[in-house]
Amino acid sequence: MNSLWARLLTRMYPRDWRDRYGAEYEALLEDSPGDLRTAANAAYSGLREHILPSRGGSMNQLNRSFADIVKKPSAFLPLGMSGSALIVLGVAAMSGGLIPHHDEGAAAHTWQLLMAGQLPVLAFFAIKWLPRAPRQSLAALALQLGAALAAMSPVFLLRL
Amino acid sequence: MGHYSDPPLLVLASLAGGPKHGHAMIEDIAGICGTRLGPGTLYGAIARLELQGWIEPLPAEDRRQPYRITTEGLRVLRAKLATMQQFIKAGVKRLEPL
Repeated sequence: MNSLWARLLTRMYPRDWRDRYGAEYEALLEDSPGDLRTAANAAYSGLREHILPSRGGSMNQLNRSFADIVKKPSAFLPLGMSGSALIVLGVAAMSGGLIPHHDEGAAAHTWQLLMAGQLPVLAFFAIKWLPRAPRQSLAALALQLGAALAAMSPVFLLRL
Repeated sequence: MGHYSDPPLLVLASLAGGPKHGHAMIEDIAGICGTRLGPGTLYGAIARLELQGWIEPLPAEDRRQPYRITTEGLRVLRAKLATMQQFIKAGVKRLEPL
């Protein structure tokens, strides 16, 4: 396999993994046949390493705290979206727009978009971080769930 | 059915024959059982085995990194092969009257 392909395929692995195995793996790829089967195996393994790390996460996963996990974009974005959804409801309530109506209006549509839009982000967060830092990720997911419930509760309590 | 494939066990078995780097392991495993591990599959197994302390790296030769099996790795390999041997013996015995 030529060195450019070997480098590109190695780059598909997470940085922590590359720091440990990158140089030797790239050398192995250069010694391997440059066929589709080998490239597909390397690409699949690289992507898989992002989801199910072979070393149980990053090389320094033991130092990863709850605060580190919550700072990840896929952790704080759903929290922000739930918070924004709650603010949308608050603003609509203050302007007298929380009366159940056949035409849902802009506030309701914005709320729905914010709540539905966080589902793929939540799924990404769970897939990426649960295998690497299970305890901290579960705590972050509980926080995200609490925020989502807080944003949904006025809608159900007031039957909007 | 056909080629045997349990990458970590194959890597341990290969290294039981002496230290090797990645490409040598692939060729050796292909010779043992006909299974040609892909580079990603091989390094997935290497990373797990190293984490468990069953193999360890030796000083690098240029960019190639040789590995060797540890004492604990040998113990695990012996135990796994003994279990497989019992399984094979029982399976073959059951096939005899057929």
